[in-house]
Amino acid sequence: MAKNRTLKALTSDSRIENQNKIAYLFIAPWLLGFLTFVIYPFFKTIYNTFFKITSESIGLTYVYNLIDKGGNYGTAFRNLNFFPQLFDFIVMEFTYVPTIIIIAFILAVLLNTGVKGQGIFRVIFFFPVIIMSGPITGILYWNGAGSLLTYADNIIFKMILSYSPQLAEALSGLFGNFTMVLWFTGIPVILFINALQKINVNLYEAAKIDGANGWQILWKIKVPIVKPTAFVCAVFTIVQLGTYTGNPVFYTIQYSIYDRGGGIGLASTFAAIYTFVVFLLVGVAWFLLGRSEKVKKVELSSIQRLGMEDLARRREQQKKGTVNAQ
Amino acid sequence: MNALLQNVRSRFEDAKAYVKGHKAKVTRIVSRIAIYIFLITISYVFLYPILRMLSISFMSASDLVNPEVGWLPSKFTLINYGIAWKVLNGTVSLFNSIKYSGLMAISQTVISALTGFAFARYEFKGKKFLYTIILLSFIIPVPILLITQYNMFNEFYQLIGRTGQGQGIGSYDSQMLMAFFGQGVNSAILIMIFVNFFKLIPNDLYEAGKIDGANPFQLFWHITIRLSLSTIVVVFLFSFVWNWNEDYVTKFLVGDGIDLFTNQLGKFDSLFSTRTTGLTHPDAGGEIQLVESFKMAATVISVIPLLLLYFVGQKSFVQGIEKTGITGE
Repeated sequence: MAKNRTLKALTSDSRIENQNKIAYLFIAPWLLGFLTFVIYPFFKTIYNTFFKITSESIGLTYVYNLIDKGGNYGTAFRNLNFFPQLFDFIVMEFTYVPTIIIIAFILAVLLNTGVKGQGIFRVIFFFPVIIMSGPITGILYWNGAGSLLTYADNIIFKMILSYSPQLAEALSGLFGNFTMVLWFTGIPVILFINALQKINVNLYEAAKIDGANGWQILWKIKVPIVKPTAFVCAVFTIVQLGTYTGNPVFYTIQYSIYDRGGGIGLASTFAAIYTFVVFLLVGVAWFLLGRSEKVKKVELSSIQRLGMEDLARRREQQKKGTVNAQ
Repeated sequence: MNALLQNVRSRFEDAKAYVKGHKAKVTRIVSRIAIYIFLITISYVFLYPILRMLSISFMSASDLVNPEVGWLPSKFTLINYGIAWKVLNGTVSLFNSIKYSGLMAISQTVISALTGFAFARYEFKGKKFLYTIILLSFIIPVPILLITQYNMFNEFYQLIGRTGQGQGIGSYDSQMLMAFFGQGVNSAILIMIFVNFFKLIPNDLYEAGKIDGANPFQLFWHITIRLSLSTIVVVFLFSFVWNWNEDYVTKFLVGDGIDLFTNQLGKFDSLFSTRTTGLTHPDAGGEIQLVESFKMAATVISVIPLLLLYFVGQKSFVQGIEKTGITGE
């Protein structure tokens, strides 16, 4: 009997069928939670943006108000704080994320050259990940512990300031808080080291035989191979900066959620616009870093297309020839 | 004099010849030194806030305003720590932080392991779609979910009549519930760590188990869990640390209900005035109370448990990030 059962269990059809159902059982708690605490709130909040919501004793009352001066979106747009802060947030992402990724990559490459004491450096670079929390970055940020470099007296900075104040402002946001910027490199450094270690050593050997120097190896082998990792790091950093207290739009959104007088509808609208911006930023990161595989395919297909175009042209010429002959 | 000069010149020539002869070696040494200088400089910048924080936490108020005192306080004082401990409500906060971070970490680890096992071992309908959704869920900003989550929990607690002091909103129930259903802090990463590790376990072991008549839960327990203890530790540590540091969601769903290290630190200034009435710093400069050194001492206190964990499980943390396998696979 038992033997029969195991035999049955080993036959492929019944096994796959059984496994299907069991897998659903394993993911059931997660799936239930995901539907309740992620999918439903996400769409519910977007739904909220179209209404003026007031808290009554019986519960929440919804009044559709999108036609009234653009509703919550109109109010959000007219808010004097929100959009300027959102713009600052975008500027921050555009200055922080590339800096973090480039520094993390440089650190990873240097640590990967086999320097002695690599372990100690790794411990130092990773430890901010462990202690970084809103209050701590907040305290260190407001006490100016993050601004190590006295950039304001720097002649280059002054030149940039006279040339373009906007750029200078973005740069001062970066250097005024440089240590905190570095603290975000913890996880990217580890990911980059891991990616670099996975590169086949034979590739370097082959490149050296072809006469490539270290610089060329860096740009022609290491950079393209770690590009997908750079994308992961970019996404990770974009998300991390979202809950970072130095994020300019952080407090506006937080207070709008707290401030029930402003209405849940308006708070939802702020959150929804902010989410849209974050998605856009991730999209930009994907556009810049996430497509390395596809580029190859496009090259191939473009060659193919060239071949096809050639063929098509010849056919057309043949047709014309036949038409003319007729 | 002339002889000396000639001597120096000949030495110089020697050095020049050496550099010429051992060009590769010299470049290597020079580049090594440059790398070390760079790495040490960066390390210093990394550690600067921490060193500064430590230094200030030992300073008295007069040292704080004294421009001649740089890094080392004129006399070390531990009074700051005593007051900081009092402001943080230290004993209670420490206990609560450990308790809730621990509970959350346990439920997150269990649920992530179950979910990770299903994704690593089985083929089922919608698997790819769901896995993509796990990855995508990571980029959804917290505020957009939090608004509705808050309303949901509010209504839920009113429905089941849990609205008193220390119940409902203001207790840790909401976050525990979310952690138990796999939606805690960075759950997506924890699931990914498990999926990638579970995939490495050879299929033969499961086949052998099946022939011996083990059911899927026995396979999960006796093979997967027994072989992945190190990964479980990694996930638990990460979850613990992330829950400890979490303060965005806690601020809304717990608020002032429970004293935790992280949320106490976040409102240190307001707590300072209420919890230190009657207490004054021995050399406080008249009217002005300088909170700086107390605040830094409080920060050090709240970081110490995490640093201890880090130095014990340092390797696990780094391996954990490597194990997510999000680098190229």
